[in-house]
This record gives sequence, structure tokens and C-alpha cells, in this order.
Amino acid sequence: MPANVFLNFLFLLIYRHGSKHIAVFLISTLVVMLFSSVMLLSHAVEEDIKVSLAAQPDFIVQKIHAGKAVDIPMEWADEIRSIRGVSVALPRVYGSYFYTPNSHYFTIVGIDPFDKQISTSLEALLQETDLRSFLSEDQMIIGQGVKAQLDQHRYFDHYLFKAPNRTKVRVGIYKSFPKESSIVSSDMAVMELDLAKRVLGIEEEFSTDIVLFVPNELERDNVREKIILQHDDLRVIEKEELAVAYEQLFNYRGGVFLLLYMIVLVTFVLILYQRYSMISSADKKEIGILRALGWSINAVIKLKIMESLVVGLSAFMLGLLLAYCYVFLLDAPLLSSLFLGHGNLPLDIVFNRSIDFGMLTLLFLFFIMPYVAAVLIPVWRIAITDPVEAMK
Amino acid sequence: MIHIEHLNKVYNENAANAYTALHDINLHIRPAETVVLKGVSGSGKSTLLSIIATLIKPSSGELVVDGEQIAKLPDTHASHFRNAHIGFIFQAFNLFDELSVKDNIALPLIVTGMSQKSIDEKVQQAMKIAHISHKQDQSVQNLSGGEKQRCAIARALVHEPKIILCDEPTANLDRENSLKFIETLKQFKALGKTVVIATHDPLFDGLESVDRTIVIENGKITSS
Ligand SMILES: Nc1ncnc2c1ncn2[C@@H]1O[C@H](COP(=O)(O)OP(=O)(O)O)[C@@H](O)[C@H]1O
Ligand SMILES: [Mg+2]
Repeated sequence: MPANVFLNFLFLLIYRHGSKHIAVFLISTLVVMLFSSVMLLSHAVEEDIKVSLAAQPDFIVQKIHAGKAVDIPMEWADEIRSIRGVSVALPRVYGSYFYTPNSHYFTIVGIDPFDKQISTSLEALLQETDLRSFLSEDQMIIGQGVKAQLDQHRYFDHYLFKAPNRTKVRVGIYKSFPKESSIVSSDMAVMELDLAKRVLGIEEEFSTDIVLFVPNELERDNVREKIILQHDDLRVIEKEELAVAYEQLFNYRGGVFLLLYMIVLVTFVLILYQRYSMISSADKKEIGILRALGWSINAVIKLKIMESLVVGLSAFMLGLLLAYCYVFLLDAPLLSSLFLGHGNLPLDIVFNRSIDFGMLTLLFLFFIMPYVAAVLIPVWRIAITDPVEAMK
Repeated sequence: MIHIEHLNKVYNENAANAYTALHDINLHIRPAETVVLKGVSGSGKSTLLSIIATLIKPSSGELVVDGEQIAKLPDTHASHFRNAHIGFIFQAFNLFDELSVKDNIALPLIVTGMSQKSIDEKVQQAMKIAHISHKQDQSVQNLSGGEKQRCAIARALVHEPKIILCDEPTANLDRENSLKFIETLKQFKALGKTVVIATHDPLFDGLESVDRTIVIENGKITSS
């Protein structure tokens, strides 16, 4: 039969049966949206962690006192740098600052503008900054989150930090970065090294920790041992450990969501089954009529499958589109905090618009199979019975 | 046109509730003949019409329609045969209530391979013959009984079958519409259709447009 004649009739039928399809359509859209939101989000987060980890130093060295990380003398960085295999060893100055008005933490990051930066994003930040004017007074560059908090309390051009030694440190706001730039994390305030130390209460010759890069993988174990030999109160964290920690966190969350998936999927299949397997007497009669008018079993099945496929596919597409908007345009409110656990990850998450097409295909199959099966089986059962019986 | 020899139909064959609805039917209907199949309710009229239409299969016997052996055709062939040769007017009309008159009439043509244009033309033609053109865009659920039947008549004619089968065509109609239907028989004749009408309505007795009346009792033909 000419395709357009068949399609004309197909869409006419779907249109006329609109009320019959609408419930299934809406439920399906919702299910697809839920599933693909989680999928898009988890993929985006995973990708982001991968990228962030890649930029992380190979080792982080902390000084431990009574089981707690304490500030570490900066000169130790020079000692470590002299170990064979270490290409770069840099003291870092950073820490959390509790912003009392909103009970929120800022991450203070100190930089030495004339030294090598530990991350490419900081490198990029300095590239874009006029250092002379930035360093002319005590100033900081802040992320969007920090700016929002400060704006709320009308700190538009400066903020008075309360240092641990009870003095107040006035720091001007040099500029802020938009969220999309991904150069500065949302909760970050970047300032000159010594200024950061004053705000955080770190002594002159100390830093928070020391990071080092060991380009040759084979030398890493060796380097690690030598560092521990130099000082016995050091803790050396390897990048691999971080990766494993993230992965575990991720797998755990993934497992929880897998469970949710299953529950939703089972519900979905049950609803479909209810809707289609107890095919109404009106549906039955229609099939009987078509058969009596000379439609073959195949033609009837084709019609009914296409009917449900059109409904299913449009629900899938709409669900996916909604999920895309929800995750990438709205930044997944609710779901992201559920997923990321209130932003307690040390890495800042920027949702890259990357889509895992393999997962998408899987989702599509998992969605469409129960769908088609729920339609095919009852339709087939009726189509092969006598038209006279079906029309009764 | 229709040749039936030693045809039997047993419902629920090989089961405890087996029921023989047709016994050794022998019947020959010539082309363009209009035949009334008369009998009380339960005598087997619908069963016989359904077998001729290949809607159900006989248990045994021969059935040749328009030179074709159709007693044991597999589904695709039977469907194709129905679509090409049979126009069926059901007692309950069997229309799609949500569809319009003209979309209902087009139903048999969708699987013929015709273009949309020729489908539309044929539908218009059939509606003219059945006097239902003025209701073509109405949804069937808003039609009266008589209009529904005229829609069903148009649908039975639209694919230009040689054979028209009518099962109790006047059972759901008032007298006025029943007489209108009897008028339609003349048109069927003019179009050269072979017509079989299953009925127990005395209105069909002694009609000029009916060539022959066959009486069926308890699944047996007693007079033809
Ligand atoms: N599907 C069926 N299963 C069992 N018995 C049937 C079935 N259809 C019809 N019958 C029986 O066959 C007989 C003839 O039925 P039918 O052909 O419908 O008669 P009519 O159309 O003359 O009223 C009736 O006794 C009816 O009960
Ligand atoms: Mg009957």
C-alpha cells in the first residue's frame, strides 16, 4: 500500500483516539525524562570529574599533627623538588572561610602570580588579568557563587574578612567570573598568596600543602618513599587515590539510582501492561472490523504497532528534550543536589553538554521493548481470532 | 458465482460442546442473482454468510467463489479475497464510531494499494450511490440508524466487489428505512452485483427485486 495512504490513516486514528493515548503518553514522557535526566547528569558529572582529575597534581603532601592536617613549611617544597623524578613541587595556600551571614563556605585560594600555577584554569585566569592593577592593593577575584552571597549583603566592592587572630582584613573585589567560564569555581575567591595567608591565618613561611608532579609513572612509588623518609609526619596522597574515592562515591550513588530505575521501570511496565493487555472491547471490535474488511493479520498488527510506536517515540523524544533542558539549561535543580550531595565534592562541577550516546541507545531499547511487547502480544492474539468473534 | 457443495460447519469441533450449525449445504448462486436466505434466528444464516465471506472456515465441504477455491485459504489470501470480492453489510453495521462517514467508507481501500486520490474518488462515488454524501464529514456516532446503514452500504460498495452479503439488514431499522433499503436492492441489481440477504423479515417476501428465496432450518436448506 502507498505509505502516505497508510500514514494518513494512522495519524487520523491516533488523532481520533487521542484521549485513549494521552495517559500513556504523559506517563511515558515523565519516565523518559526522569531516566534521561539522571543519565545526562551522571555522564556530565563523570566527564567533569575525569577532566578535573586530569589537571590534578600527581601527589599532594600534607603535614600531619595528631592525625590532623596542619600547615607545612614552604621550604620543604624545595627539599622535595630536589628528589629525582619530581618535575614540579609547589606550596599551595588555600582554605575554607566560613561566611557567617549565610552559613556558607568560600574557598580562599592564594596564588603567587609570578610563579608557575598548579592548574591550567588558574594559569588562564592570570592570563586574563592585568596583574599590575590587581596587585596594586589587596584584592580578590571571585566566582559567581561568592559574588551572589556578597551581593546579598551589599558588599559590592569589598569585603571585611575576619582573620583567626581577630583582626579584620579588607579585601577589594577586583572582578568576578561568570559561571560558564569555568575558569573560576563558583565558590572560589582568588587572591595574592600573602593576602590569602592573612585571611586564613597561615604563618609567613608556611603553606597549606605541597603539590608535586612526577611525569614518569614508574618513579612515583620511589618518590613517595623518599618523601616519607625525609619527614616522618607527612601524608602523601596520590591522584589515583582521589580517582578511586570519586569512583566509589559515584558507584554508590549510581547503585542507588539503579535501584530507583528498576522501581520506576517495573511500575512503567505494569502500567503499560494494564493499559494495553486488557485491550478494550472497542479495540477488539476495531480489529475485527478491519479484518472483516479485508485487512490481513499483518496489516492490522502493523497498524497497531505503528500506532503505539508513534505515541511511544514522540513521548521518548519529548522526554529527552525536557531532560536536556532540565539538566543543561536549568542545571538540574533538586536532582543535582540529590546526586552530588549538596556540593561537598572538592571538585567543582560544571555540566558539560556531553551526551553518552551508548547509554541513550540502551535507554531507548529498554523503553521501547516493553512498549512494543505490551502492544504486540494482545493485538496479535486478537488479530488471529475470527473477525466475527472479535466484532461481537 | 457461488458454488457450495456438501458444506458442514461444526462449532467447537472435537470439544464437548461441539455444535453443528450447518449440515450438508448445497447451493449454487448465479452471477447478478439476488437471493434471500430465510430462516428463524439460530438457523445458521449468519454462519453461512460468514463462511462465504471467508470470515470463518467451514469444517468440511467445497466452496468456490468466482472460480476460486476458498474453503481453506490461509489468512493473507483470504484477506485479499475478502478485500477484492466481498462487500459485507453487518446487522450491527460495525463502523468506527470516532471516524467520519467518509473515513469509514475508505477503510477497505487503504490496504488495496490505491493512491489517496483514487481512494477519495471512489469514496465519493460510493457515497452518492448510498445517498450519504451530505453526511460525509460527520462522525458516525452522531448518525441515525438509517444513516449508519447507508454508510455501511457505501463501505460495502466502495471497493466494487462482485458479491454483497447482507446479514439481517433491516433488523435495526424502522419500517421507513427498511423500505429504503429494499429500494437499494434495485441499485445493487443495476450494478450487476450478486447479492445474498440473510433475514427473517417478512418484508422481503415476494419482492420483485428478489430472484430466489432459500429457506434454511436448523442448519439445513429445506427449499431453494
Ligand atoms: N461461535 C459460535 N460458537 C458456537 N456456536 C455458535 C457460534 N456462532 C453461532 N453458533 C450457533 O450456531 C447456530 C447458528 O447461528 P447463526 O448462524 O448465528 O444463526 P442465525 O444467523 O440464523 O441466527 C446457533 O445455534 C448459534 O448458537
Ligand atoms: Mg444471524
